[in-house]
Amino acid sequence: MSTDEAQTGVPSAAPAVTGSPLVHVEHLVKEFPIRRGIILQRQIGAVHAVEDVSFDIATGETLGLVGESGCGKSTTARLVARLLEPTSGTIIFDGHDISQASSSEMRPLRREVQMVFQDPYASLNPRQSVGQIISAPFRIHDIEGDHKTMVQDLMARVGMNPEHYNRYPHEFSGGQRQRIGVARALALRPKLIICDEPVSALDVSIQAQIVNLLEDLQEEFGLTYLFISHDLGVVRHVSDRVAVMYLGRIVEVGTSERLYNNPRHPYTAALLSAVPKGHEEHASGVDRIVLTGDVPSPVNPPPGCPFHPRCPKARLISGSETEVPEQCRTAVPMLQPMGDGQEVACWFPLEPGEKLQQAATA
Amino acid sequence: MSDALLEVRDLSVRFDTPDGVVKAVDGLSFTVGRGESLGVVGESGSGKSVTFMAIMGLLNRAYTDIEGEVLFKGDDLLTLPQSDLRAIRGEGIGMVFQDPMTSLHPLYRVGAQIVEAIRAHREVPKTEAWKEAVEILRLVGIPSPEERVRSYPHELSGGMRQRVMIAMGLVLKPDLLIADEPTTALDVTVQAQILDLIEALKQELNIGVVLISHSLGVIADVCQRVMVMYAGRAVELGSRDEVFLNPVHPYTWGLLESIPQGGAQSHRLIPIEGSPPSLITPPAGCRFHPRCPHRFEPCDVERPALADRGSGHLDACLMTSEAKAAAWAGRQARRNAVPA
Repeated sequence: MSTDEAQTGVPSAAPAVTGSPLVHVEHLVKEFPIRRGIILQRQIGAVHAVEDVSFDIATGETLGLVGESGCGKSTTARLVARLLEPTSGTIIFDGHDISQASSSEMRPLRREVQMVFQDPYASLNPRQSVGQIISAPFRIHDIEGDHKTMVQDLMARVGMNPEHYNRYPHEFSGGQRQRIGVARALALRPKLIICDEPVSALDVSIQAQIVNLLEDLQEEFGLTYLFISHDLGVVRHVSDRVAVMYLGRIVEVGTSERLYNNPRHPYTAALLSAVPKGHEEHASGVDRIVLTGDVPSPVNPPPGCPFHPRCPKARLISGSETEVPEQCRTAVPMLQPMGDGQEVACWFPLEPGEKLQQAATA
Repeated sequence: MSDALLEVRDLSVRFDTPDGVVKAVDGLSFTVGRGESLGVVGESGSGKSVTFMAIMGLLNRAYTDIEGEVLFKGDDLLTLPQSDLRAIRGEGIGMVFQDPMTSLHPLYRVGAQIVEAIRAHREVPKTEAWKEAVEILRLVGIPSPEERVRSYPHELSGGMRQRVMIAMGLVLKPDLLIADEPTTALDVTVQAQILDLIEALKQELNIGVVLISHSLGVIADVCQRVMVMYAGRAVELGSRDEVFLNPVHPYTWGLLESIPQGGAQSHRLIPIEGSPPSLITPPAGCRFHPRCPHRFEPCDVERPALADRGSGHLDACLMTSEAKAAAWAGRQARRNAVPA
């Protein structure tokens, strides 16, 4: 994706920018109830999967969503695709409020939003041929025409041999299968493709092939991507902007250059420092901040800032291993603009250039 | 190397399957010394895991044809009787398996599983063994191990379970720890904790460590020596600095180029064309030659041996070191020159 254009929100080819974003999400909340009891079920709690999440995705842009497992990335994606119904909050897609849309109201919009899934082994029906899999969207949406030719065009477009139309998924390698998944997502010429860990199951040399394919298709069709991955390197490579999630909340969002070079939230800084850097940075001795403990349970999230129980900066400020400033413990920080489109939800964000320090006792 | 703990010579592993003979590992040789960490990197199907399953005697010999020598402190593990091998597993060589979600028995407390490992090797009273289990859990950094030892696996997070797996691998104080993708199922922040832990334990206990991973980043972070595998063979073997700074095999080049580089967002990734070969009918000559952009005349017939060709570390490629230096310089120039 030609970055310069995309960063300003102007897609290289395709739909004119209307000024309003393609996806607008505001105060999105999703709770999954936890029930007990056999006949008289009563709710004894809730998994707070997504809590007060707001973001925009401009047309032609790639928004990366990163975070650890269980932080609500996939739930957010499923809400945007309206595979789940939000508990509260607003989702505007292409000018339509779809937050509470019924399935019949959603139907025409389903063509516009498609997904590419993580596991190319599980997301393709093993008993259907490639042709049947890729033409399924045409059948579902009653699209007229020569399905076989249309499918073969798609196959050629994603770098597959169109003669393999009648083959079955097990005859293909992981990378080829993921191409089938991409072709299927592309079939209806959607505006938004949600990629949920599209390369995580693939070997590195194949990952690069799929990443390049997704970038080419974006340029060709003016696609908008919501790109979810736990691989921070891949997200940085494909995304114009990146949002970092922790325990159901977005803690930082910004252009990928700014966010990676100048993380302002202590969690972002710790997450980036935890990525194995490979050789180059290893030699230069970048300090790795090892967070202690695990991510708290989303059933019972900590009060105040969700990150405060593990935050090295809060401990540095209080000067004690066990204490954190009262503000961090009691009040939830909201996303605050930090300039240049970067927003951070932290009471004590890192200053530009400030390095996250491990607490003194470590 | 005189202080070699493990010395593997010309190891070959073949599986008999209905579709034909799978040549999973083909003529592999390497050593691991005490206090040394060897990283083994390669894509799925490159033979990384099978190599170490064969070394540990975990493959069913009825369907598997294993050749070569695996010397552990002078004993050939491939010819040792089962009873001796049992003693070496755990006490001599500890193993940490990939998936902490499936490698622990869900119906037993984690403490009981560690105790079982202890009592299979040493005659110690149960109470003593439980105390040892608590201590080893403390060593791997599990908070309040007195309580955690009574937990069932489902009560622990992925990172904690992986720590339990490492604890089980270490509880008998082995001389060599083999960790097969120990962090693949974990989040990056937890991965960092586990890698630091393995490094700290290696230094504290002065053991040899083999870290198997498909992630070059993980390998570069913690390993002193690196072996790159492709389609059942080692294609490059050397110190970390040599392999990552002066790689000499075209496959290693391709792997390094496939990874997104920080700060170079607008660069296109350069994938390796094609996909790994079938191990039932592997290509003749160099197994990488069908995907290699630098292949020349004898590559499809002549098998390159793993040898030092003047670069300071071992590689299996027929190009001369001058040709390689030129090719790598060219590739780096091309990579850095890609316009935004």
